[in-house]
This record gives sequence, C-alpha cells and structure tokens, in this order.
Amino acid sequence: MLGVPDRGRVAIPAPVQGFRLRVFKGNSISTTKYNFFTFFPKGMFEQFRRVANCYFLMISILSMTPISPVNPVTNVVPLTLVLLVSLIKEAFEDWKRFQNDMVVNNTLIDVLQDEKWVAVPWKKLQVGDIVRVKQDGFFPADLLFLASTNADGVCYIETANLDGETNLKIRKALERTWDYLTPEKAAEFKGEVQCEQPNNSLYTFTGNLIFQKQTLPLSPNQILLRGCSLRNTEYIVGAVVFTGHETKVMMNSMNVPSKRSTLERKLDKLILALFGTLFMMCLIGAIGSGIFINQKYYYLGLDKGVAAEFNPSNRFVVAALTFFTLITLYSTVIPISLYVSIEMIKFIQSTQFINKDLHMYHAETNTPALARTSNLNEELGQVEYIFSDKTGTLTRNLMEFFKCSIGGEVYGSGVTEIEKGAAQRNGIKIQELRKSATAIQEKGFNFDDNRLMRGAWRNEPNSDTCKEFFRCLAICHTVLPEGDESPEKITYQAASPDEAALVTAAKNFGFFFYRRTHTMIHVRESCVEKMGKIQDVAYEILNVLEFNSTRKRQSVVCRYPNGRLVLYCKGADTVIYERLASGNDDLKKVNRAHLEQFGSAGLRTLCLAYRDLSPETYESWNEKFIQAKSSLRVRETKLDEVAELIEKDLILIGSTAIEDKLQEGVPACIETLSRAGIKVWVLTGDQMGTAINIAYACNLINNEMKQFIISSETDAIREVENRGDQVEIACFIKEEVKKQLKKCLEEAQHYLHSAPGPKLTLVIDGKCLMYALDPTLRVMLLNLSLNCTSVVCCRVSPLQKAQVTSMVKKGARKITLSIGDGANDVSMIQAAHIGIGISGLEGMQAVMASDFAIAQFRYLTDLLLVHGRWSYLRICKVCGSTSFRLYEN
Amino acid sequence: MAMSPLLDDDTTLFDVNLDGTSTSEDGGYEPIPAPKTKSKKPPPYSRFTQQELPACKPIITPKLVIASFTFIAIIFVPIGIAALSASNKVVEIEERYDRECIPPIYSDHILQYIQSVGTDKTCTRRLTVPKHMKSPVFIYYQLTDFYQNYRIYKSSRSNLQLKSKADEGSELKNCGSVQTVGDEPIVPCGLVAWSMFNDTYSFSVKDKALIVNKMNIAWESDKKGRFGSDVYPKNFQAGGVIGGAKLNSSIPLSEQDDLIVWMRPAPLRNFRKLYGRIDVDLEANEEIKVEIKNNYNSYGYGGEKLLVLSTTSAFGGKSKFLGIAYLTVGGFCFLFAIVFAIIHRFKRRDIGDTAYLSWNRSPVGYYIK
Repeated sequence: MLGVPDRGRVAIPAPVQGFRLRVFKGNSISTTKYNFFTFFPKGMFEQFRRVANCYFLMISILSMTPISPVNPVTNVVPLTLVLLVSLIKEAFEDWKRFQNDMVVNNTLIDVLQDEKWVAVPWKKLQVGDIVRVKQDGFFPADLLFLASTNADGVCYIETANLDGETNLKIRKALERTWDYLTPEKAAEFKGEVQCEQPNNSLYTFTGNLIFQKQTLPLSPNQILLRGCSLRNTEYIVGAVVFTGHETKVMMNSMNVPSKRSTLERKLDKLILALFGTLFMMCLIGAIGSGIFINQKYYYLGLDKGVAAEFNPSNRFVVAALTFFTLITLYSTVIPISLYVSIEMIKFIQSTQFINKDLHMYHAETNTPALARTSNLNEELGQVEYIFSDKTGTLTRNLMEFFKCSIGGEVYGSGVTEIEKGAAQRNGIKIQELRKSATAIQEKGFNFDDNRLMRGAWRNEPNSDTCKEFFRCLAICHTVLPEGDESPEKITYQAASPDEAALVTAAKNFGFFFYRRTHTMIHVRESCVEKMGKIQDVAYEILNVLEFNSTRKRQSVVCRYPNGRLVLYCKGADTVIYERLASGNDDLKKVNRAHLEQFGSAGLRTLCLAYRDLSPETYESWNEKFIQAKSSLRVRETKLDEVAELIEKDLILIGSTAIEDKLQEGVPACIETLSRAGIKVWVLTGDQMGTAINIAYACNLINNEMKQFIISSETDAIREVENRGDQVEIACFIKEEVKKQLKKCLEEAQHYLHSAPGPKLTLVIDGKCLMYALDPTLRVMLLNLSLNCTSVVCCRVSPLQKAQVTSMVKKGARKITLSIGDGANDVSMIQAAHIGIGISGLEGMQAVMASDFAIAQFRYLTDLLLVHGRWSYLRICKVCGSTSFRLYEN
Repeated sequence: MAMSPLLDDDTTLFDVNLDGTSTSEDGGYEPIPAPKTKSKKPPPYSRFTQQELPACKPIITPKLVIASFTFIAIIFVPIGIAALSASNKVVEIEERYDRECIPPIYSDHILQYIQSVGTDKTCTRRLTVPKHMKSPVFIYYQLTDFYQNYRIYKSSRSNLQLKSKADEGSELKNCGSVQTVGDEPIVPCGLVAWSMFNDTYSFSVKDKALIVNKMNIAWESDKKGRFGSDVYPKNFQAGGVIGGAKLNSSIPLSEQDDLIVWMRPAPLRNFRKLYGRIDVDLEANEEIKVEIKNNYNSYGYGGEKLLVLSTTSAFGGKSKFLGIAYLTVGGFCFLFAIVFAIIHRFKRRDIGDTAYLSWNRSPVGYYIK
C-alpha cells in the first residue's frame, strides 16, 4: 500500500526502492553549524557580525593604503590573531559536534528485512521501516508503537533526555497490532499512517492508522519519541513515523536566546561615544589640515609633485584624505584589546571560579554550580530583584503525606515547621506530641494517628467514607509501581511527588497498590472486611481523565470486581467544589475550614470525591468519550469537554494535606540577601494561604510588616462569579482590583512618610494580577510593589510569572534575576536579566533555559554576593584601566 | 498546553556529553549536560579556583587617607619650593632679532633681501646681562611657527644614508623632492637637512671676542649611532633652490653637530635648539655685542627668530612649571588633609555602617509616572 506523496501519510512497511518518492528526510542528523566548504565563509561572517571586528577590518584595510601613516602590521596582526583564535574555537566545537553526530548516526538498530532482524546504522533508517528496540535502548526515530513483549502491549519509557523527568512513563500499543512481534509476523504488517505534519509539541500527536481497511485513532500513547529509552521491557516493535530532523526532539532544538549584560551594553554605548569622539577629532583635524596647508611653508616642500594629500591647490581633497589618515592613526582610541581581555576574564571567571566553587557544590546530588553562559558574570553583582519559584526552589520537592480530613474529621498529629515558627512568633509554646513508637517513617509519608493506622479506621464512625478515601488514593492516579511487589521494596514512579506520596499513604493505610496492567489496578487490601484479613482486589480501569493545568483535577472510572462502577476524582479544592452534588452542606463547610487550616499550616491540599455511576450513564458517556478520543482535530479540548460531562454531581470524601519541606538554609539566605538590599519576590502557583506561610517561614514576611492583600477570594467577587456572566465578572474584578490598588497605594504612601514606618509587603493572587497587569493599572501596581520589601504572587500562571518579571525589568529598570526549577519557570527565567535553574533534581527544562544552574537556593548568596560582586568589580577595573591606559597613550 | 523543553541543536541525546559550558558569545548552540555522565567527584580543590590566594586589599580608612595626604604634602611642597627657587636663579636673556635685522630700506622687500645672495646680512645687537651668569652659558636659537613636526617634513630623510656611506643611495624615496642632483644622490637628502638653520652668532664683550664652544652640543647617541663618521656631505644644496645652511663636505656627518641638532625634529612648532656654549662667566650689567648673520628665511612663513642666552640649574632651564605643579599638588593635599581631619573630628562616620546604604536610608519610594 503506497502512500500518496504527502508528508502526512506514511506507508508501512516502507515501499521498496525505486517506488520511493523522495519526500521524507533520512534519519541521519547533523547538528554542526558548518561543513568543510561553508566553514570559512560562514565562520568569517559570524565573526564580522561583531561590530568591533568589522571596525578593525576597516582600519586594517585603510592602513594598507598609502595614506596610512602607520605600518599595516600593527592593525592586521591583532585582528588576524583574534579571528584565528575564534575560528579555531568554532572549528573545535563544531568538530566535537560532528563526532557526536557520527556516533549517533552510526549506532546500530534492528530493522526488519526479509523476515529477519538486520542491524543497520541509524542513519539508514527510513520512514515506514519496522524496527526492533531492545531494553535500555534508545529509540532511533519517532516510532509508532506496534507490539511489545510485555502483556497488554505496554512498554515503559524514560524521557529524561526530553524533559529531565526520571520517572517511567507507560505507552500502550493499539490492541490490533499487538501480535506483530516476531519478524515473520511483522513482515506481514501492512498499513498506512495518516498523521499531522512534523511539529515540536512533545506531548501531542494526532493521527490515524489505516490498517486492514479500518481507521484506528492514534494518540501520544502509541508514539515512542526519539531520545527516550526503553525500560522494563524486553523489546518492542515499532514503525518509523518521523525521522532525523523531523523528529519531535529535533524540532525542539533551538538556540538559547542570547542575553547581554548591562555592563556590556554600556560598554557598547561608550565605544559608540568613543567612535563619535574619534570621528569628531578626525573631522576637526582634517578641516584644520585643509586650512593649514599653505605653500608659504616652503620648507615643507609642498609645491612640486607632492602627493594629493598635501597639495595645497585642492584643499578639499587634502581634508578628505587626511580624515582617513587620522582615523587609522587614532584607531587605537577604540580598544580592541578590551573586548578580547573581557572575554578571557569572563571565561576564567565562569569556568574556573563559578563552576569549581566548592561552596556551591552540592554533595548529595553531586552537582557543582554551572555557568551556562559567561556573559552575565558581572550582572550577578548588580541584582536588585529576585523572582523565585516556590516549589522545588524555596521548598524541597519532597512531599510527605502529613494530614487528612475524612468526612469532616481531621486526622494526623504532626506539627509543621511553619506552625512551630508561627507559634514561636506569637509566644506560644507548642508541645509536640511524641510520635508513637510504631509510627511509620517512610519517604513521602510522615503521618501518625492511631485512629487510622493498622486498620483502626474500621472503628471510626465514618469508616465507610474512610474506605472510599483510601480506595480513591489507591486507584485514582497514574503512578507506576517498580520493583518487588512487597510493601517494603516497591518504589512508585509518579509524574509528581504528590501522587507518589498519596499512593504511599494508601499503602500505609492498608490499601497497597502493587501492580498496574493497562486495564487493571491491583490493590492488596487489608482489614477491609475483617481485621487482619488480606485480600488482593483487581479494579478494572475503564477510563483515565488525566490531569492538566486547566482541568486541575484527575479522574478515574473503575469497575469493582462486584461490578460497581465508580468515578474517583481528586483535584484542587476550587474545581472539586464546583462539581459537587448539592446537599450535604455541613460536610462541605467543615471540609473547607479544614482546607484553610491546612493551608495556613503551609500544607498542600487536594480534595477527593467520588461518584457512583449506573451502567447506562457510563455507556452513553463512554461512547462520546471514544468519539472524542478518535477525533483528529482539537482532541484535547474535546476530551476536556467530554470529561466535564461525567465529572459532576460528585460526593465529597475529604481532603489530603501534604507537607512541602523548605530547602536547607533558605531563611538564612533570604535574610542575607535582604540585608544586601535585594528584594525577593515569590511567584507561585500555590494557594494564597500556602504561599503566605512559606513566605513567613522564609523570613520574607513577619508580623511587624504591614501586609497588603489583594485577593479575588472575596465574597463580593464570588457572588458575581456565581452569576456566571463572564463580561460582568471581568469588569467587576477589574474595578475591584483598581479600588484595592488605590487604597493600598494611598496607605503605602502614608506609611512611607511616617518616619520609622513599618516595612510593607504585598500579596496578590493570579486572578487579580491578570487585571492589575492591564496597562491602565500597571503603573499603580508597579508603584505599590516597588515600595514593598517583599511581594508574594500566588496562583500565577507561567505566563504571569514572566509578565511580572518583565514589568519590573522594564518598569523599574533594575537588574532582575529569576530562579526556578520546573518547566513552568522557563518563561520567567528567560524574561529576567539573569535566569537561574535549580539543577540536580528532576526536570532539566529550567536548567536548559537558564544562564546559571545551581543545586540549592542557598547558593545564591555565594553566587551573587561573592562571584557576582567580585566579577563586577574586576570587570570594571579592567574596563577602567584599559581606557585609562588608552588615554595615557 | 505543555511546555516544550528547549533542547538544543547539538543535543547529543545518547552518549558523549560535551563539557557543560560553551562560551560562544552569540549565545547559541550550547550542549546539554547529560545527567547520567556527570563526574562523580566534586570539583578539585585549588586555592586559585576557590579564590583563596593571598591578597592585599587595604581598607581606605579616614586616618589612612589623612596620613597619606599629609605625607604627600610634606614631600611635594619642599620639592616645589626647591624647583621654583632653582628656576628663579636661572638667568635668561631673550632677544628677538628677525624684524630688527632687516635694513629699513628693504622693509618692503624682505623676501628679496633675505633670498638674495649679494645683500649684506650682518646685523649687530647689544644685550645687557641682567645678573651674573655663571658658566656654562648656553646659546639657543628659537624659531616660532616652524612645523618640524609635520609628517612629510619629519619623514623626509634617509636614516640609512646618514648612517653609513655604503647606503648612500638607499631610502632616497623618503626624501621627496630633495633626492638627487642629476643621478647623484644628495647626502644628506631630504627636506630636514635642506632647510637647516644657518644664522650665525658671534659675541664680544668690550671688543673682546667671546669664544663660542660648539663641541658636543649634539646628543652623544646621535653622533655615535645615527650619523656615520664615513659619510661626507655630497651634492648638498646643489639643486635649484637653496633651503638653508651649507655643509663643509670635508667633515663627516658625525662631526657636524649643528646638523645633528637640527635633524632631531622638535615636537612643537615653537622650539629652541642649542647653538653653542660660552664657557666664561658673564658679569652683571656687562654689555654683549652680538654680530648676527641673518641668513635664515623665516619671513616666508612669518615666523620669529630669537637668540637666547641662559644658564641652567639642577632642574634644567628657566621654567616655573615644575615648581608650581609640585606646589599646587602639595598644597591641595595639605588642604584636603586638614579638611578631612576636621570632618573626621567633628562629623565622623563609622566604617562599614550599613545605615548609609541606599536601600537602608529612609525609603523615598518609587514613583513611576
């Protein structure tokens, strides 16, 4: 079956040679900038894009003409040297890239040829080839997953190279293709893939497989991306869909936007000013020489046969030529050496000082600091505003199940650091309950309450709710178990540590999730029917409605062995409350109070809910779901819409509270930074309560400070929101934000004018921020926030983080620094003058977008106050002394 | 929806990890540090990379500043006074003679007078010695508005030719219009030699001639190194237009002190050049009769000619500049030392007081319009 010559159609197996229409690129990749022939012209072009080099080329050319009073060697040699060194560096880097490409392109892969697996290098792969990838091997191209040695056609992949996440992800082949595992069978496979054009979105794929005259929808679940590796699976068989530069990972390659330091830009301006001076000097000199030149100075021999430059009979030519002479003569006013020496100094500063600083080496994760660019060293010494992400930056991304509220009852006896700190500030001494000797200590679980542990929950008045709660924890997730199927040895691979903590909690409550097949979740439940009885229960997972940032919730539809159909849902309080069935207001109110209590203790909360489904309701919904799933366009949106249909009339079970531990040394570091006059802003996606409490714990806010809180969680706004008119809501919130801003600003001015006024802080949430960032209100926001010693923005989106950063960057004209660890911080990191990524843990995206990478937030002190300051002073000394030496000459 | 990870062009997803940093200034193409292949060891310790090398960073305290200012004042003021008094002791006689030495009948045809060979150019001036002048008394001629520093003038010479006889014909092209007579090279060639100063002075006191010592008026290094003892003037001033002095072709260039002095170009347009020395003391109020041969054409370009007699001191000739400079610097240092001492006494600030840092001062607040 031969596909039409359209990039969107792939025939499998690949058509034989001769019939092949050359529309697909091969699988060999090249990441080099140059090849043998383009190296010199292209490399030279790159060099002469720098103004300094261009200028000196001009001077060198001028100095070779007879009007030059200086020897051309003095100009040509340094320029040639600079160019040569740069070109050699470029060539060396490109050579290394080339060698890497060669290694990659020549890696062997098994390809199906004549019913046999034949090892061929990657570069020979073609679209439509059927390949076999063995365990721990890398996928050579973007593959359509056909069959796996694992049961149910699943395989596990690690995507560390794509997004840095080390947890395993599950992929599942279409059921119709599971059998094509052996070479004999695979050779019979004939099909055609209709798919989207190559693009760079790693998490989407829309396409259909036309196979045996049937159209089967394809999702990202059947796509194995180049760059990932196969884990926990003996081997898989797949068909090549995108090759080489058309693979998603290669489509994602892009250049890091280059940032230039303010000093460098200032230097450029100075150089420009110098050039202006030079121009004026030469002009005045040229005019002067035109006027001066006169035959009366007989001793100068200006009369007969003298060069045009000195011939008094044409003064204009004299002036013009003298102008160029003077430019070559005075060319040293522009210091070429300055650029070279600054570059060398910065190179040493970043590679020798910053990268090798033992004070910034984190031994546990074996991560030294990394200066990914050497352009911004001295910028570090001038930072005035730091924008910090919370999770993973200020706090460890180490989640521990800490407390829970089930059916209106709070369980869990721990006291958080934040509560201890708050109590200390209020002068109350909290007697910490001693942990019972039997308390379980485990990563992700820091919970003790004798009412729940070891099956004791059965005696609680709301034991049925408890059962639902634990089952929801054990079933509603996308966690993968790894290792032995025993409670001690199992490890959970989860997309977020929260999920792992919740599943670990379920395990400790006696609902041990130990195995996941594609359709089943196996849970070893103890003490459910009778104390001490252990039974393995398999729940059939019918649908998974995945978590994403717009939905803020995750649901699973499962069928109990006894046929009961339940939808378990967990998510942020706001979205769950919107979808609860009416009635039972007491529980809702109590639970909301508990949520607030957890939030103020600095805990992260999730609400759990369930809904019993009748088979009819489910079937009719499932049809819509499948339809949405197989749609080619806007599949995501359609799926979200369908999910809305079933995620309603939920019954609240309770809520969980997870502790997010502060990173080591964060409060001390922030204290030091604020003493150095640096203002720290926290930009987080968390709720206001959590954010404020983290800010308290970090020393950003204390009780002596005056807090301005601009929140959208007011009764007035809620009331308008309940009416549901989007336009009205927008207008109302905008007015409300304007009013609040005005009030706060007036108050702030009052405090500023009172002599030893309190320090000010601003807390604002994402919804209000959206309106406050409006051009009409932006100035007010800026005036208010710049007068505050610390600012906390909560519930902000990645885009808003970037907007806030650039607002300060442009509005206040101060040097800004963004620090973060996750993908949601990338835009903020790129928007600030300096972007810092937290390295060493999961997630490389922030690091890859950053200018510097450090392992811990507390290393900022060293990076800014030692390296930044010294680099700044040293670079300034170099600039100063170079220009001084210049004017000495 | 999802963030696209920013992979890079030289993502080597598979194995070899390049060194983490790239310093390409255009910011592009940075390799990703692959997490798997990280070195297992911490960065090596060295005092250089940890920036722990011994260093001296003096803290500039008020006391240190006051002390150093005082110290400078103490050193500089006496030097200044010494230099000034030395300069005051120098006795200098300046006599401008270019106008006075034109006979009144020629005052309308000066160029004709100066360029003609036949006219009598002798001119007598009388100078009075204001104070006792201790030998040696240096005789200078001073020219104004003479651009010896002009580029084509300055380079119009052949240094090779001046140095050795073998190179008589080399680098002649530098000499511009004064290269050859016929096919014979001019020695010394070039505009500099051609325009050599040729006024002469003879002095007498009470009809008793003063001997002008013209020995060793040129730099020793010039005589030994730059002007050859086997190079004799040849074809000099034999061309059409005669510029200045003629040279005795039987004396080698290394002995022609006047030429050597002239050939060292002056950096400014007004300059003095050494003419000779009088090795006897001149008494105060003595009248010196100077007989000048006013040969040199300074009238064409409108410059002045002066005759200068001067003694020297340890600081050189008569110049107040050095003394005043030392005194000014020393005086200001002294003044600052006193001012700082007063401020330090009555309105002191403690070193390292963070209350003065911009962000610790009373918050003024930002107002952006």
